[in-house]
Amino acid sequence: MRRVLRWGMALLVGALASAAPAQTLSPAPDRVAVTIYRAPLRAPDQAIDRAWLQGYALITEQRRVTIPAGRTTLRFEGVAAGILPESAIVTGLPQGVREKNLDADLLSPRTLYAGSFGRPVTIRRTIAKRIVEEAAIVRSGPDGAAILQTRDGFLAADCGPSQDALVYNRVPPTLAAKPTLSVELDSPTAVSVTVTLSYLAWGFDWQANYVATLRPDGQSADLLAWVTLASSDTTSFADAETMVVAGAVKREGSAPNPTWNVADESLTFRCFAQPIVPAPAAVFAPPPLPAPAPMAFEADIVVTGTRLRRAMVQQEDLGDLKLYRVPDRTTVAALAQKQVALLDRAAVPVSIVYVSTVDSGGDADAPRITLRLRNRTDQGLGVPLPAGPVALFQPRGDTALLIGEGAIADKAVGEEVEAGVADATQVTIESAHPDSGKDWEAYRLTARNANPYPVRFEARFAGEDLPRMSRMTETLTRKDGKAVWSVEIPANGTRSFGYRIKDSD
Amino acid sequence: MRMWLATTMLCLPGVANAQSAAPDPVASSAQGDLSVTIYNNDLALIQDTRQLALPRGRSRQEFADVSAQIRPETVTLTAAGAGIIEQNFDYDLLSPQTLMNKSVGQSVTLVRTNPATGAETREAARVLANNGGTIVQVGDRIEVLDRNTGRVVFPSLPANLRARPTLSVTLDSANAGTRPATLNYLSRGLGWKADYVALFDEKAGKLDVQGWITLTNTTGTTFNAAKTLLVAGAVGTADGGNRPSFYGGRGTPGPRGNQPGTETARREQLGDFYLYPLAERTTIANAQTKQVSFLDVAGAPAAKSYFYRNPWLQKLDEAVSVDTVLKFSSSREGGLGDALPAGTVRVYMRDARGAPQFIGESEIPHTPMGSKLALKTGEAFDVKILPTVEKRERISDERWRTTMRYTLTNARAQGVTVELAQAGLERWWHDTKITDESQPSTRADADEAVWQVAVPANGTASVTATFDTRF
Repeated sequence: MRRVLRWGMALLVGALASAAPAQTLSPAPDRVAVTIYRAPLRAPDQAIDRAWLQGYALITEQRRVTIPAGRTTLRFEGVAAGILPESAIVTGLPQGVREKNLDADLLSPRTLYAGSFGRPVTIRRTIAKRIVEEAAIVRSGPDGAAILQTRDGFLAADCGPSQDALVYNRVPPTLAAKPTLSVELDSPTAVSVTVTLSYLAWGFDWQANYVATLRPDGQSADLLAWVTLASSDTTSFADAETMVVAGAVKREGSAPNPTWNVADESLTFRCFAQPIVPAPAAVFAPPPLPAPAPMAFEADIVVTGTRLRRAMVQQEDLGDLKLYRVPDRTTVAALAQKQVALLDRAAVPVSIVYVSTVDSGGDADAPRITLRLRNRTDQGLGVPLPAGPVALFQPRGDTALLIGEGAIADKAVGEEVEAGVADATQVTIESAHPDSGKDWEAYRLTARNANPYPVRFEARFAGEDLPRMSRMTETLTRKDGKAVWSVEIPANGTRSFGYRIKDSD
Repeated sequence: MRMWLATTMLCLPGVANAQSAAPDPVASSAQGDLSVTIYNNDLALIQDTRQLALPRGRSRQEFADVSAQIRPETVTLTAAGAGIIEQNFDYDLLSPQTLMNKSVGQSVTLVRTNPATGAETREAARVLANNGGTIVQVGDRIEVLDRNTGRVVFPSLPANLRARPTLSVTLDSANAGTRPATLNYLSRGLGWKADYVALFDEKAGKLDVQGWITLTNTTGTTFNAAKTLLVAGAVGTADGGNRPSFYGGRGTPGPRGNQPGTETARREQLGDFYLYPLAERTTIANAQTKQVSFLDVAGAPAAKSYFYRNPWLQKLDEAVSVDTVLKFSSSREGGLGDALPAGTVRVYMRDARGAPQFIGESEIPHTPMGSKLALKTGEAFDVKILPTVEKRERISDERWRTTMRYTLTNARAQGVTVELAQAGLERWWHDTKITDESQPSTRADADEAVWQVAVPANGTASVTATFDTRF
């Protein structure tokens, strides 16, 4: 029954489209390029939220179209669902564009009913497996659904003993299945041209992921980085030239949460109050349109990547940003995530440092295991490093064990890169307050190492505390605005540092 | 499953008539000659001239297809030779519940179907009350209505229940005849802004800008073949319009270098507002976003610069990127040569293969011709700054001395100049002094000291400054 109805609807829609005057349809792009930008406010250590991708993409499509002479509406199908219509740019048309339109008045149970106001419909009543049909006219709006006029008089649908459904005989002509971008143009002659359509669309995201595997010497690591890109759009872009952009790009808007502000497009048959006897039959409600559920994500995850031929993205400068180009055309699939290699460097010199921050009251944080390296060519690196999480592994026999995970912000060439990956368990810091005077306090820090090998330890003080410190048992160095006590603690050894600090007021 | 087609389908005189009379909401809208004037603050003035056939004397006229977001208190109707008695805006919506409420005391028909045979029986019933449940009297039985009681058929619809809110006007006409009547009203749900596509060629120092008017219709109503006029401004409304905020003023975050212009653009003006009429009539469909071009300038001079503003006493653990700022002008000489309505400027640059890529966007307010614009597009990956507090000490009961160091790094292959502003120097007292600095600053205003810091290619530069403040 229902199948027949759908069939009828499909035929109607088809008839409608062909009847519309002077329309040219471009069903899909011939070539497409997708440039993905990171979610503007997502921190480097914050994972991509696949249920709500808050980044965006610039999509550039090439479409071959044949335009008739005179005034035409050129409709573009197969654009991203998250399109920002105000960002659409159309070039390559012979006479330019008269106007661009994005129509988003969509066909739904609610708009179908609203658009049938005053028009004939058929009530289909099901009672005890018997189906009876009766002609009627819609007399209410969708908020007061559904008051209908029949030969007998006026009635409310689905409020009697039968289960009622409405059968329509046409689709209101302005309603479209999907938001549709179109341009109106005048062409002096019929012409075949290649049109470039570009636009921004929410619902994409990407990040870099770094994997550092320490070498047995503990002084260097193999560094591997991936670009992870994701799309929550319902449109797939096949064989796309794919790029990602690193760096902070200013956006004025933000990605809408797919679960918010979803207009209720279903149609509810309201009834009279019925307080005493509940309805015996399940209340019939028309099925809502099969909207793309973001929850259905997990089923569609695609992990691409090959260990055999590691195709690297290629980096170029884009103004003050960094652009990474995926070497081969690839498919940016709907509701999918993809990974491409960003970086693969062997034996990059690194150091593992245990870092603790000391406040002006002498209290020290627990030491944190920190991976440190210099992003320089002469140190085996020297490439822009886009923000992302860092995982640190240590070899153990044939495998490698995870030591911890941290994150780095965007790092330019020449910068020192640090990622705190875990709290230390075998290196500890103790802070003591042995003495105080009229306007000073004395503190002593004791750092202990329970490991059977020496470790590098750093205690960091705020830079403006240094001028107030005196009687220091060791010399501090200045680094990045901080005063640093940097020391090597021998295997199973202890080091300590005493100082006085003047009270600030 | 057997399917019964009620024979009633075949002979339905009343329904058939209604069908032929039912207006197609699109093909024949009740709208007349439409003019739509749209302001920036979610407000539109709609003028709808319809041919009205009036009888002599009093008559009630309904106006279908007005905006669903009409502000009914703003409606005025002018028709030659007719005076207005009253205007009504009825929004008591027709629904099963309201229909039943209005039927209390009235007769309805209860249709019952025998589930075994499908035979229908009809009984007259009277609605006694509808308070949280419907009480009906059928003959001498009193029943509470539920689904199984039967299908309720009402003989008519109450006159003042509406399928949608409806505007009606009662007129008194001196003589009968058809004449044009003009309906004027304000509506919410229509708005517009400008969107600019700016393609920046950094090497040539040129900017190509296209301006588009973007208008949106969320009224729920389609306006057919409307003469459309856009007003670049937010007219004052009693319930307060929200005006986009502007240039530079005190405490406004954003790059330095914005300055409103004093030139007049060659466009039609109405009072203080520029007008943007659309060249042709257009249909503004419901839920539509429509764009029409209004500006196309190629090769305007533009330059990129770097800017960073440090809040008072801010020190960071890690260097951060400075802002990338695009500077250009809307002047006739050496600029875009037009007034720019408020909107969003999206900036593109060509990548190594020549394809335009998006590099950032920034909102602008209504910008007169002759303005200087400095728009942040993003942050520079390779140019960074690390502000640190070197020293902070109390030098007297009410004064502090603070030494700041700003370390700038540049990983680019070209030298750059960063405009560095230290903000927060004025807080009630106006006697903040810079007692020592590694390079001279300009005091742009009481609140900010500004240094132009040259950072060599692949190099580092630093600025130190000592502030004598009361806080």
